[in-house]
Amino acid sequence: MTAPAALAYLLMLLLPTLASLLLAFTDYELGAAEIAWVGLGNFEAMAADRGFRNSAGNTLLYVGVVAPLSVLGGLGLALLVGAGARGRAFFRAVFFLPVVSLTVAMAAAWQYLLHPTIGPVNSALRALGSGAPFWLSSSDTVLLSLAAIGVWESVGFNMVLFMAGLASIPRELYAAAAVDGARGPFDRFRLVTWPLLGPTTLFVVVLSMVRSLRVFDTVAVLTQGGPNKASEVLLYTMYTEGFTFLRLGYSAAITLVFLAAVLLLMWVQTRVLDRRVHYG
Amino acid sequence: MTETTQDRAGIGRRGALSLATLAAPLAAPRLSRAQAPVAITVHYAQPFIFKESYDAIAAEFAKREPDIRIEWVTTPNYEEGMQLVLRQAATNQLPDLSYQGFNRLRLFAERGIAQDLTPFLRREGDPAALGYTPTLLALAHFGGFQSGLAYAASNPICYSNADLVRRAGGNPDAMPTDWAGHIDLSRRIKALGDGVEGMHFRWAGDDWMFSALLFGHGGRMLTEDERDVGFAGREGLESLRLIDRMVREGGMPNLSIQAAQQAFAAGKLGLLYWTTAVVRGTVGQVGRNFDLRTGPMPVIDAANGRLPTGGAAGMLTTRDPARREAAWKFLRFSTSAEGTSLMAKNTGYVPMNQIAIDDSRHLAEFYRENPLFTAATKQVPLMIPWYAFPGANSVRVTQAMVDNIARVVESRATPEQVLPEMAAEVRRLLPRRAT
Amino acid sequence: MGDAGRPLARDLARLLVLGLLGLLVLAPYIWMVAASLKPLDEIFRASLSLLPERFAASENYGKVLARVPVGQYLWNGLVVCGGILFFQLLFAVPAGYALAKLRFPGRGWAFGAVVLGLLVPPYVPALPLYVAFSQVGLLNTYAALIAPFTISVFAVFLFRQFFKALPDELLHAARLDGMGEWSIVWRVVLPNALPAATAFGIFSVVAHWNDLFWPLIVVQGHARATPALGVLFFRSEEAGDDFGAMMAAAVLMTLPLVLAFLLAQRRFVEGIATTGLKG
Repeated sequence: MTAPAALAYLLMLLLPTLASLLLAFTDYELGAAEIAWVGLGNFEAMAADRGFRNSAGNTLLYVGVVAPLSVLGGLGLALLVGAGARGRAFFRAVFFLPVVSLTVAMAAAWQYLLHPTIGPVNSALRALGSGAPFWLSSSDTVLLSLAAIGVWESVGFNMVLFMAGLASIPRELYAAAAVDGARGPFDRFRLVTWPLLGPTTLFVVVLSMVRSLRVFDTVAVLTQGGPNKASEVLLYTMYTEGFTFLRLGYSAAITLVFLAAVLLLMWVQTRVLDRRVHYG
Repeated sequence: MTETTQDRAGIGRRGALSLATLAAPLAAPRLSRAQAPVAITVHYAQPFIFKESYDAIAAEFAKREPDIRIEWVTTPNYEEGMQLVLRQAATNQLPDLSYQGFNRLRLFAERGIAQDLTPFLRREGDPAALGYTPTLLALAHFGGFQSGLAYAASNPICYSNADLVRRAGGNPDAMPTDWAGHIDLSRRIKALGDGVEGMHFRWAGDDWMFSALLFGHGGRMLTEDERDVGFAGREGLESLRLIDRMVREGGMPNLSIQAAQQAFAAGKLGLLYWTTAVVRGTVGQVGRNFDLRTGPMPVIDAANGRLPTGGAAGMLTTRDPARREAAWKFLRFSTSAEGTSLMAKNTGYVPMNQIAIDDSRHLAEFYRENPLFTAATKQVPLMIPWYAFPGANSVRVTQAMVDNIARVVESRATPEQVLPEMAAEVRRLLPRRAT
Repeated sequence: MGDAGRPLARDLARLLVLGLLGLLVLAPYIWMVAASLKPLDEIFRASLSLLPERFAASENYGKVLARVPVGQYLWNGLVVCGGILFFQLLFAVPAGYALAKLRFPGRGWAFGAVVLGLLVPPYVPALPLYVAFSQVGLLNTYAALIAPFTISVFAVFLFRQFFKALPDELLHAARLDGMGEWSIVWRVVLPNALPAATAFGIFSVVAHWNDLFWPLIVVQGHARATPALGVLFFRSEEAGDDFGAMMAAAVLMTLPLVLAFLLAQRRFVEGIATTGLKG
């Protein structure tokens, strides 16, 4: 029953991953003639590398901004769009569109929209009298700009998931809540919607965190980790160490640490949240 | 057709005679064909710039060598091209000929993938007489041997918006020749207001433009023996100070190069210092928005100053004799006066054969009609190789330099603070022993 | 929530907010399409003008159609995404069913392996897979593009959630009728799983249509190139991108996906709703 999947898993995922991770203990470089075992050498280098700590910090900051905002944004949009039948299909399509886009193409569009001198965002800001930051080229604002783009890319995805979750809440519960004295939309939300949305919320939160942890495309196309590593994130470091600097051994070491950290995070989170989720 | 064959086939005499007449013209050309048809794989990067040039060269080449069939492989940029060749070296599927960015050639020379082209060149005569001057050969000479032949080169030039220059009180036909003059002009352009910026010097991405300043001061990246950093001295400090002045006096904004190019095309940036490789794209983006001019880089040290060279060189990788011979023929043709002229006309890069540059038959008319393309050609005597750092960390080194320069551009540190730290980081990344 | 028939006046505020947000969200797309219609010298202007002064659509789209065999790329996209989806369903449906309904030793471990698989970034198995494909001579083929993605741990996860909600009586009845486990999967379980399968199908197609990383390393030339590579053709770091053509390429390569989504949206949301997100 599980044999075909297990075989594919083994061949296409597990074995190659293990092979890659084994490289973490070597000094292998792409195209090099020899390969030597260095044990924990790569991990020592990582601990001492200011760049790696910076990368980890930036990733956490990014996740800390994008995950909550895209979850809340998705929920908000789902509530707004689902509140009436008018325009539901239309708005659902509109907000889901960013999910379908190709980052390489969108990058040029974002780069223009956020252009410090000729872009519309800053023109509008200047018209309103406020300052016009150098969004993608200043180390102060670059991570925030990327996070905004990250939210744009994922809020539609979460919205659709929440809409489905909302649609599966039985109507009778709202009537029952009204009978019990629930007045107004806030009460309805607090008493019925939120608790029953539990499993969906858990699913969306986990998914959002995993997706934002794996941020790569926007960094690779828009900022290349710059300026001066202000937007360097873990996956981008992994990629550049392996494929640009050709230090595949070191890159694999970073991957190993990344996977271990994320695993820990997921385990903690599922234990904590799972207990509070109400399964209907 | 022997008599016995004819008899066995049962063809009568008349039949045999007519067959023989038909066969005769078939036999004749075969005698002059000394070789069997060969198929080679040629790789190059950045197809959207170079495709027309390679197609034009291939068409001409096919007329001279009809037996050589070419299969093309392209990669979007030089980095992908480098990775492609390295991956395929590991799996034994190298393209026979690969055009790589200059500063990547060193890696291939060190890894034994590139081959020495001197014997091939000498076979044809004196290289200089064929148009391969020592300066041009030096551009692709790495690892102690001639690891490639330069195909297309670019050097840094100054793009200016003549309308903004005039409004700021300058004369676009007589631009200042030193940095003090340019920075002052930039300041005046910025003072025009209305969101207009003065200048942008592309310092991000890699160390190429920084080396333009460093070499302009007569400095070098590493010492002769490549054991230590060569930019930690006066030339490096002056280069960083110059960038600092661009920011503080010239008002250089902290833009990415794409943003700067876009602002320039929109008429909101007065002076842009970047590679001549983008001249075609810039002409397209500017259109009739304003009067576009190109000119040489400001001179820093008239006697010792030099400029780095970007672009690509062809590298022979195959060891199979028949394919190597065929690949060599294509490489030789693409870098000959005729081939490189086709390249220059189709791309705007600087041609890599002295005969093409000097002899007016080839490009004189083209340059007359496209004056914007000539700024780079005037700087050819100043071209030196784009410096490639030795060892495994070569790419990482350029990244370390860019990150440090960013600190100066964002005014988070002074040049005096940044230079020693930059030197220390680069030193850490150099190989323990000189390669 | 979700009752039709609210008066338009009260609904107006909601629609206004949604409209504004929608405009914000669509801004990059609008710019992309506008840029694909403009000549190069009009794309970057200080003033926000959406309509081109000089209509350059034929120029930009013409360039794309001339340099890049768009039909071939789109066809490859179809074949690759279709192939991937087919195998993903083939493997994930039985596996999801087994994890949800069957008891076997190591089931917990298997599920753990699935969750673990969700975390592995695509770059990790990439190089060993590349070397392996190269050794068996399968580079630059449909097989190389499809095979690594045939196992979708997300699909297994999704189907497991869905199948947990399937009533056991249905399966008992089928077993009493003498059906073997495999028959049950394909003749009883799968038909009930169609909504979830459609939902997953959209996720999968979107992800693989736009995938750049893997095709970039295993494909060379036009024969097997995927849509995302078509857009990359017009990027150039050294000489500046050809924005007009690049945006035109992006429009051409994304349009089929957008149209397909618009047509399939309804099914998609229904599918998600029935994947038993209630647990």
